[in-house]
Amino acid sequence: MRSIALRWLAVSRRIAALLALFVFACASFSSTKPRYGGALRVELLATSITLDPRGWKPGSRDFATNERLAALVFDRLISLDNYGHFVPQLATEWSHDSSFRRWQFVLRAGVKFSDGQPLTPADAVAAIAPLLPQDLKVSTSGNSLVFQSSEPRPDLLELLASSRFFIYRVLPNGSLLGTGAFTVDETASSSRSAAADSASVTQPPVQHLRFTANESCWAGRPFLNAIDVTLGVPPLRAFFDLQVGKAELVELAPDIVRRANQANTRVWASSPLTLYALRFDEARPQNEKLREALSLSLDRATMAGVLLQKQAEPAAALLPQWLSGYAFLFHAETDFERAKELRASLPANVAGGASPLHLQTDVSGDLARLLAERVAVNARQTGFSVQAPGKTAARDANARSTEPAELHLFAWRIASLSPSEELHLLAKSQHVEEPKENNPADPDRRYAWERKILEERKLMPLVALPDYSGLAPTVRDWQPSPWGEWRLADVWLEPAPAQKPSAPAVNTPTGARP
Amino acid sequence: MSFRTKLFWVFLITMLVSVSVVGYAVTYYSRSAFEEIDRERTEALVAQFQKEYVQRGEEIARQLDNIIGSEITLKTALDLANPNADQSIYFRDAAGIAQDHGLDFVELVNFQGTLISSAQYPARVGYKEEWVTQVNDWREAGPFLRKEELPDGYDLSLTVVRALPVEKKNLYIVGGKKMDRRLLASLVLPAGMRALLYRNLDPSFSTALLLDSNDTLQNADRFEPLINQIRQQTQPMVKTVDWTGDAADAETFHSIPLLGRNNEVLGALLVGSSRRELVLLTRKIVWIAALVGVAALLIGLILTWWISRRITRPIEELAEGARDVASGRWDRHIDLRGRDEVGQLAGAFNEMTHTLASQKERLVQAERVAAWRELARRLAHELRNPLFPLQITVENLQRARQLSQDQFQEVFNESTATLKAELSNLNAIVNRFSDFSKMPTPRFTRVRVNEALRDAMRLFEPQFNAVGKPPIGTELFLAEGLPEVDADPDLLHKAFQNLILNALDAMPAGGSLKLRTSEHDGKVRIEVTDTGRGLTPEECSRLFTPYYTTKQLGTGLGLAIVQSIVSDHHGTISVSSEEGRGTTFRIDLPLRQSNALVKPAAEEQKLEGTESAKAAAVANQG
Repeated sequence: MRSIALRWLAVSRRIAALLALFVFACASFSSTKPRYGGALRVELLATSITLDPRGWKPGSRDFATNERLAALVFDRLISLDNYGHFVPQLATEWSHDSSFRRWQFVLRAGVKFSDGQPLTPADAVAAIAPLLPQDLKVSTSGNSLVFQSSEPRPDLLELLASSRFFIYRVLPNGSLLGTGAFTVDETASSSRSAAADSASVTQPPVQHLRFTANESCWAGRPFLNAIDVTLGVPPLRAFFDLQVGKAELVELAPDIVRRANQANTRVWASSPLTLYALRFDEARPQNEKLREALSLSLDRATMAGVLLQKQAEPAAALLPQWLSGYAFLFHAETDFERAKELRASLPANVAGGASPLHLQTDVSGDLARLLAERVAVNARQTGFSVQAPGKTAARDANARSTEPAELHLFAWRIASLSPSEELHLLAKSQHVEEPKENNPADPDRRYAWERKILEERKLMPLVALPDYSGLAPTVRDWQPSPWGEWRLADVWLEPAPAQKPSAPAVNTPTGARP
Repeated sequence: MSFRTKLFWVFLITMLVSVSVVGYAVTYYSRSAFEEIDRERTEALVAQFQKEYVQRGEEIARQLDNIIGSEITLKTALDLANPNADQSIYFRDAAGIAQDHGLDFVELVNFQGTLISSAQYPARVGYKEEWVTQVNDWREAGPFLRKEELPDGYDLSLTVVRALPVEKKNLYIVGGKKMDRRLLASLVLPAGMRALLYRNLDPSFSTALLLDSNDTLQNADRFEPLINQIRQQTQPMVKTVDWTGDAADAETFHSIPLLGRNNEVLGALLVGSSRRELVLLTRKIVWIAALVGVAALLIGLILTWWISRRITRPIEELAEGARDVASGRWDRHIDLRGRDEVGQLAGAFNEMTHTLASQKERLVQAERVAAWRELARRLAHELRNPLFPLQITVENLQRARQLSQDQFQEVFNESTATLKAELSNLNAIVNRFSDFSKMPTPRFTRVRVNEALRDAMRLFEPQFNAVGKPPIGTELFLAEGLPEVDADPDLLHKAFQNLILNALDAMPAGGSLKLRTSEHDGKVRIEVTDTGRGLTPEECSRLFTPYYTTKQLGTGLGLAIVQSIVSDHHGTISVSSEEGRGTTFRIDLPLRQSNALVKPAAEEQKLEGTESAKAAAVANQG
């Protein structure tokens, strides 16, 4: 009797466990199954955007915003997944010769633009050709695109999988048509339509954009019905909107991140993407000892650890480790005593002595001002007199002093997955001369060039910052790339529970090199 | 200037001085009163500023007390007391505290003096603020001024420090507010006054550092000299600044230095007081005084003219009467009435003129009698000498009638010869008197006095060393470069001859004759000195009287002629003598003769021979 009872008890326990498992499994299935519908509300810091890649300025913060929104409307030939694999997009297969000089991409068949017109190789050539480097030419060959280069281009896949290399068609009225998961809803967008105008939509600023799902997208309809984008939202306001449920996805400024974490907000951080660095004005060459002394006086650890409250990394290289792979070989040394010695050995009439060394921020914002002030404080400790820009000048580029500056603080946002292309664009934008024998695709030569730039202290990296985004708990399947792509076509929204307390913070770890 | 004019000016000046003194006194006392009011208003304003300063300091201290009393600050202090604390998480705290508590400056400093967080200069985090740890009790220290370092320069802060001790490890909170125009805006400024605040933050003057209460300060750069003076002062000072050259635009500034903890001048409160009211008031007083002065001048002119005329008319009559008396009208009578001093003076004047007239008449009569007596005596003396031989000769001739014809003839011949000789003497005497009465009028020409003296000496050279006579030595002390004088050379020669001859006569036993010339006060002086027997004072006083002589054979006219010549040349002659030692005659001749027709010397030289001969003859007669 006892054994029967025990056996019954054991069976009933197993049944209860199975029932509980079943209920849990059902519940889990119901909560992870993507749901169609809903509008994702996005708030961005940028006050204006343009979706035409030809108008984007490499290295700028606006470039990243434009790229993120353009990725909703346009597709590239290929893309890179989070595991480092190149994934077909509008090109289904590709091949190259042994010297990496000739590449051929076969275009996906049956792809149509949002207006129902089919995508042709000529459309792809017309979109890509103006954006390619000079040594790279593209042409059609049947249903394929053929890239021909005078130099080996082993990094062509990285180049085409990122940055501006979207495929679109330019209509006679200047509007751009894409094949992406979303289309611009011009009727719901305030002011002028961003997608319909190839020019920058800066005047008047577009305050609100609505992207609606492309029902005939070749990759299938996205889960979201629409994405509502609000531009020009101040960082703190965006954070509050996220907290009170007025937005599901917001850009976060670095100085808000700690606060967001303390408030248990869901924060995502990319790999380090934005480099803050100093540049000596090439038109006002400075003494080598002065540059060395100034470089030795820079306390990058405090900048990253205190001023940016550990939301950034001290930078010793121009390209981040995840992109170049050799950044760990560079070291940023801080040696105040040595800097003072060098300063003492300089003649009295050198800039920074009797007359102050003028530091200009080429990028606006409080962060740039803060870093510029810290540079000035560090330099002052060494014995230099550095005049940092005032609050107004740092916040507003138009208010900057007309006095020529010897030193510039600039920011560079990584956009390309090709390290050679990125270094080339960075050097070009900062007026650093590129060696004639340089082969950007050769990692050794690229390393040597970057080392030369750093040793000559033409550019002095300070800190590297990731992109930060705040997410509502209802945002699901959020799988952005570590290099900053949001990939909103895969995102779906969970219905918001009524009066549900906020979930604990889930920080998505920063990505590794793909 | 006449007495009436003097009196007029005295009255006028007295009136003007009186008006001026009254005007000055009114202006002076008005200015004093104004400056006293100005000083009181300035003191009130400074007191108001100090009160606001203290209140602001108390407000900051109260806010800091609230901060250190909060739970979050206690948690921060507890965390920072941990050696392994992550200080970076407090980086933004100071800015939040500053915003929450309405402070311009907030800094958190740990027990080691390291800046943990700064609202005003976040980039300085990590640097040392060791001065914070050097005070044991910040509550006793109270509010103080501090030069606050900012990213784009410096600012002036009213600062309070509070320490929150945790496990003997203090967390310091440094809070402050800007010393800016908000502080000035709270002051109630009387009309005509303004308050400025200079923040002494730069080594040199900067207009941006000078603030007024409502941001309407213009031409701030013109304050540079004043501010540069104030920056050197740790004591209050007062200075008046003349902005435009118009005194009404001038402004008096009372400067109160604002010192930091180490008595460094970190700023200055300038209380400016316009002098416009004072200047306009002063100008009004001056205008009124000027108008009163002009009116007084006009009235005074009339009154003064009338009064001075009334006062001076009898005096003018007296003066005119005196002038008449001086010109010889001894019988002048002034018809003035009155019992005052002028009337008494007029009476005395009339009495005096009456007395003078009668005395003059008596004196003239007496002198005339004396002159006639002297002339009679001299004539009697001169005529007696030839008359006595004439009488004897006539008596001899009467007695000779009784002698024989031959004897009578011999006596007759002798007597007639004697009569002729004595008659000739009588004739000579008459001629001398006649010559004296006919002295010629001088004819002036340029004469070298030294040459004239030498010529005169040359005539007497034979007599100086004549055989059988005691020798007479001569010494000439003639000044070189003696200017020429306007003189009649003949008369001058005659005068010199007479003096030399007189000297020779005074030295019958020999001696020394000295001639000396010199220039004194625009005159030429000639001195003739002998070493004769000398003269008594009585003789000296009568020496130049005509017909007075001390010699047996002299006529008494030689020195009278000399005096007459010197007088005709507008010169003076004097004599000094010491009995037994000698006599000195001193002639002073003016260089130039006014209103005289001066003939060239060459023309005169033609006549020189004949005239000098005549003069010599006249002189020899003396």
